[in-house]
Amino acid sequence: MSLKPEGNSRWLPLVSFGALIAAQTHAILTSPADADMGHLQKIMYVHVPAAWMAFIAFFVVLVFSLRYLWRRRENDDLLAASAAEVGAMFTGLTLMLGMLWGRPAWGVWWVWDARLTSTLVLFLIFVGYLALRAYVDDADQRARWSAAVGAIGAINVPIVYMSVLWWRTLHQPPSSPATLDPAYTLGLRLNAIALLLVTVYFIRRRYQIARLERAIEHAAEAAAMGGGR
Amino acid sequence: MIASNQTFIIAAYAVMWMVLLGYMVRLARAAGRVNAAAARSRQEHVKENE
Repeated sequence: MSLKPEGNSRWLPLVSFGALIAAQTHAILTSPADADMGHLQKIMYVHVPAAWMAFIAFFVVLVFSLRYLWRRRENDDLLAASAAEVGAMFTGLTLMLGMLWGRPAWGVWWVWDARLTSTLVLFLIFVGYLALRAYVDDADQRARWSAAVGAIGAINVPIVYMSVLWWRTLHQPPSSPATLDPAYTLGLRLNAIALLLVTVYFIRRRYQIARLERAIEHAAEAAAMGGGR
Repeated sequence: MIASNQTFIIAAYAVMWMVLLGYMVRLARAAGRVNAAAARSRQEHVKENE
């Protein structure tokens, strides 16, 4: 029972971070200045993929939370929790990068518009999810409650995505290869793919750690029950 | 204006790398902790069997 890098765990961090360095270098060096924002547009290559990775992580939370509620298998709970931690990290990062873009572009660090507020709510829901897991001792209760919170919390993702279309906001409409000038699409795609590899590595590694933690807990429980006889 | 924009661009990329590498360090520490706990658990199991 140990956590040594094995199989693709060994090369995945190298490939994913290498790809991220290459994608960011390509975007910085080749992306032309935007007519309105100038070179500030380059923040898009980190801000938009970070937001997408948060959405993907919360989709994983939704799928495995519902699967846990259906099948009651411990590994589904552990995978949902691992994705929630990574998703919360990417949501926090998205908010910070958004503020660093908003200050020079809008003149303010923060504005209570629908996109920013709904993203903050999403972040707080998953910080709450992680706090819930930290404070509930009973493993079954923790898994059931966090699956419910995770599934309900993930409903906020489409609200965040659609917020710029449903309400008038200072935030611009969604950036995607379909809505961007072709000069920026390759850079955005490459950065999104590279960050997706990083996300897969993070979730996978966190899940391996969570499984080993749980195996140790089970061994300790078994030893305690054996010692009590 | 261009110089101040550059500052925000550099800050954004720096923040991203700090957060990603910080999370990687957090995972490495957690892996180290859990490996040490697993080793202790194995040793206790061996002692019990002796």
